[in-house]
Amino acid sequence: MSDRELEFALRDLGAHLDLPVTPPLAEQVATRLREAPERRPVMAPGRRRLPSRRWQRLAVAGLAVALLAAAVLVLSPGTREAVADLLGLRGIRIQIGGPRPTSTTPPSTEAGGVGASLGLGSRTTLDDARQRVKFPVRVPTAAGFDRPDAVYVDPDQPVDGRVDFVYRARQGLPASPYTEAGLLITQFRASVDLDYIKKLSNASEVEFLRVNGGDAFWFAQPHELAFIDRGGSFQQERVRLAGSTLIWVQGDVTYRLEGQVSREEAVRIASSMR
Amino acid sequence: MEGRPLDTEDDDQLVARAQRGEVHAYERLVRRHQDLAFRTAYLVTRSASDAEDAAQEGFVKAWHALDRFRPGAPFRPWLLAIVANEARNRARSARRQDDLSLRAAEDRPSGDAAPSPEAAALASERRKTLLAAVNRLSDSDREMLACRYFMELSEAETASVLGCRRGTVKSRTSRALGRLRAVLAEQGVVHTLWPATTEGVWGLKQRRDSPQSKKGGGE
Repeated sequence: MSDRELEFALRDLGAHLDLPVTPPLAEQVATRLREAPERRPVMAPGRRRLPSRRWQRLAVAGLAVALLAAAVLVLSPGTREAVADLLGLRGIRIQIGGPRPTSTTPPSTEAGGVGASLGLGSRTTLDDARQRVKFPVRVPTAAGFDRPDAVYVDPDQPVDGRVDFVYRARQGLPASPYTEAGLLITQFRASVDLDYIKKLSNASEVEFLRVNGGDAFWFAQPHELAFIDRGGSFQQERVRLAGSTLIWVQGDVTYRLEGQVSREEAVRIASSMR
Repeated sequence: MEGRPLDTEDDDQLVARAQRGEVHAYERLVRRHQDLAFRTAYLVTRSASDAEDAAQEGFVKAWHALDRFRPGAPFRPWLLAIVANEARNRARSARRQDDLSLRAAEDRPSGDAAPSPEAAALASERRKTLLAAVNRLSDSDREMLACRYFMELSEAETASVLGCRRGTVKSRTSRALGRLRAVLAEQGVVHTLWPATTEGVWGLKQRRDSPQSKKGGGE
């Protein structure tokens, strides 16, 4: 087994670990700081914490059992995750949206969780995603692809944010071996690192194409994408579905389509993005 | 209620505002980094409640130390170092630590279009084997691999988290990989863990100083 294989396998493993849901740290920390915001010398760090948090937890847990039984659907996604975590229900975690529990997460567009395990940021609506990233979001007009089954947004990573469309597997769109998703379309503002692409091309794994008048690259095999974001940092995208990938560049936005589709089908969908 | 604020400011701007005492700006910084901070703490403590304590305490300490933060320096490694330190203090006194485990295969049992059962089972078996081997490594080897591959931290961030010199990250990673391979071989795993899908996974080592580029370069 080569180093490369082992490293890849470790990254894949990392993406499948059962990690506990992040608690609402921002709220907890802000609460503590609002009680005592003034800076103190670091050498004598305060050990102040919310009074008897364990008791708080127990009380909340008691309350939560009742709530959970009666009204789980009424709770916001963030609260549901927090409650599930609190009760130690990790085995039946109620996971909605991305890994970032926050009570202000916009409502899901549908009940299903397609793509939820891909670590894509928070689940949202197309309109909301458009508002939260700093580049024009395009949508395929090809029949069957004009309405993604789920939209995810990460406003922070890379610099100007990223939007992902997930399509559930269906006839003609086989599921990835790892999730029920059949197709993933990602867009973000970045320039593709041509050196990197050229290195790949030495291994004759990449075909150079044109899509919508811009450069496009077709990878029949799963690959990882490296790109440079507007902040100048070198970023690495993980393989999500382990399918073939089409990458194309339009203006200063890079698009990536991943799934078990043919090159022709990928180009057809890509060309329909408006 | 306001919605979630549009994130138009980068870390530097938020840090500057937080340094002037704006709790709200700091709250946004925390929200931005809380996942990674919490995971870092969890991978060190392997206890969800210790990790929560460590991350919360770390964020509060970082706030109080903001005056000493050099403007323009990257915030994330600085923060992770503080959180990891809190986590290590708790890990030392911890009685019981979870073994890392895999998510249940059926996180979202929705009837339609599941992956082919054979493919899913095979992938899951591979991950189990690999994880069992990772769990048998020493804490320091496991933490190194977790930083580099599970959380995909840079060498500098890894050095901050583990409190070692940046120059030793490469060699320590390489040795941890070697020991992982030895454990796998002991278990009779000599076949490839990941057939036919690794071809594209490279090209980064020149740019991102991937640990594999220096094989066995340890002391």
